[in-house]
Amino acid sequence: MLERISKVLETLLEWILISLMIVLTIIVIVAVVYRKLDASLSWYDEVASITLAWVTYYGGALAALKRKHIGFDTLLLSIPMPLRMVATAVAEAFVLGFFLLLAWAGWEVLLVLEGDSLVSLTWVPVQLTQSVIPIGAALFIICDLLSFPSYWRMVARGVSLEHAEIEAEIEAEMKRR
Amino acid sequence: MTVFLVFVALVALICLNVPIAVSLAIAAVFGLILTEGTGSLVTVALDMYDGSTKFSLIAIPMFVLAGAIMNAGGITDRLINFIGAIMGFIRGGLAMVNIGVSLFFAEISGSAVADVAAIGSIMIPQMKRRGYSAPFSAAVTSSSASLAIIIPPSIPMIIYAVSANTSVEQLFVAGLVPGLLGAAGLMGVAYAFAVRYDLPVEKAFNFKEVRRTFVEALPAFALPVIILGGIFGGFVTATEAAGLAVLAAVLIGAWYREVDFKRLKTAMLDGGKQTAVVMLLVAASVLMGGFLTRAQLPQELAQQLLSLTDNKYLILLILNVFFLVIGFFLHSVAAIILVIPIVVPLIEQVGIDPVHFGLIVTLNLAIGQQTPPVASVLITSCSIAKANIWDVSKINIYFVGVLLMVLLLCTYVPVVPMFLVELFYR
Repeated sequence: MLERISKVLETLLEWILISLMIVLTIIVIVAVVYRKLDASLSWYDEVASITLAWVTYYGGALAALKRKHIGFDTLLLSIPMPLRMVATAVAEAFVLGFFLLLAWAGWEVLLVLEGDSLVSLTWVPVQLTQSVIPIGAALFIICDLLSFPSYWRMVARGVSLEHAEIEAEIEAEMKRR
Repeated sequence: MTVFLVFVALVALICLNVPIAVSLAIAAVFGLILTEGTGSLVTVALDMYDGSTKFSLIAIPMFVLAGAIMNAGGITDRLINFIGAIMGFIRGGLAMVNIGVSLFFAEISGSAVADVAAIGSIMIPQMKRRGYSAPFSAAVTSSSASLAIIIPPSIPMIIYAVSANTSVEQLFVAGLVPGLLGAAGLMGVAYAFAVRYDLPVEKAFNFKEVRRTFVEALPAFALPVIILGGIFGGFVTATEAAGLAVLAAVLIGAWYREVDFKRLKTAMLDGGKQTAVVMLLVAASVLMGGFLTRAQLPQELAQQLLSLTDNKYLILLILNVFFLVIGFFLHSVAAIILVIPIVVPLIEQVGIDPVHFGLIVTLNLAIGQQTPPVASVLITSCSIAKANIWDVSKINIYFVGVLLMVLLLCTYVPVVPMFLVELFYR
């Protein structure tokens, strides 16, 4: 069940991320062409920056689902059992706590921004662009929880995430050839 | 005292394997609560949003995407054939090819591990078959891949430029001469090994072969030509060059029918994820930056160090040692994001050029990728070669020595990295 939810969420986030990357690429390329034609697009900077923020948080949630965020696990894995698992649980609580705070703060900000719109595109409400913070934070929490059981097992077995990633990368490369 | 507590919290969280981005953010929130209470916690959302909208960082997803698309096609193989045709006649030719290919390729996709895996999985088995020892093959692959950090396009350089508020274009240009010098040095060491262990020559130099492989490898040069040509010529900014590089990569891939929808999708996903990982770090650093500025830590630190010495060269030495130590424990991007905002006021006061310093930092962190415990590039190479990390390190020490010499040269003879910058920009 958990695996199925995880798979559905992964596919959904993947398509969101791909769409955002396509939009960002098109914006940047079109903007270069326009600038070279001496007709710079007034909305380019603002819209491209917002797209980057969306890539950050939707992509960040996806990376959390895959446990791809940069960390340092050498020390954690050298802690003797069962203390290591206590440390793992504490660390997880901190991560969840932060994103709960971010979701709440993001929501509060949205309430304040009621009625504001972008500078260059006045028909786009800032509430829409900034919604990425509470939504992104909530998604991060869900993804983190979904990937926690497998992370827990890896830590218990003393397997480094980084080494696992390296092995996976090499295997993928070998398969491609 | 508050700053000390925040620092302890940060280190403790990182040691618990809380992602570094999240550790930074939590420590900053902790500092915010200690200094201003819980009343201003709403600003966390504002800072985390602002931090992720830094316009100049749009170059990162674009370069990563261009690299991932190029990676998906057969460009690596064609590049290896071409460089093999040029350098194969030298003793230890495969080692030379390995170094040459890394210069073009490594660090393009933003994930050092993915790039080393791509090059290493082709080169290392070939080298082993031709009688090169596994540790030597791994050491060559690892050290040359790290050197490539200072050759444009370089994600760590883009991040440095934003953190230190300096020009990414100039930093790219500054990396060129030291990168080529470093490559020549690595090839020199490889040659010495080749002579000593009687490693084979691949094939006689044949002009026809060079021409044939050059034509096949042409698309691989599109990326450096667009990036360097565009930036040197002042036609485009780094971000625009990155956008054009994506366009070129897609068109070339389509022409050679090597990039289909599935590969493009994978490239987009890899690019998006890599970008998100880096950007979350940047966003968290903005949150931390706000706290540090209010606490006046960078200025305080600058004053403390300046009260010990105001000798520019001594300070550069201290910073070099500091970054080398940091490089043992942190990935380059994380190290830049954590440390640069703190040391920038210091280098400004001492009168060190931020572009020059940026090159020193990135080169320094390239060396850090070769030193365990955090040494993803080295570990990946060892893993492909199936060689023990200590056996590899015993040989790698000579290659790292070359990188260290280039670092010292760039630090104390600024004209080496800055000559082209002066010529084109000042």
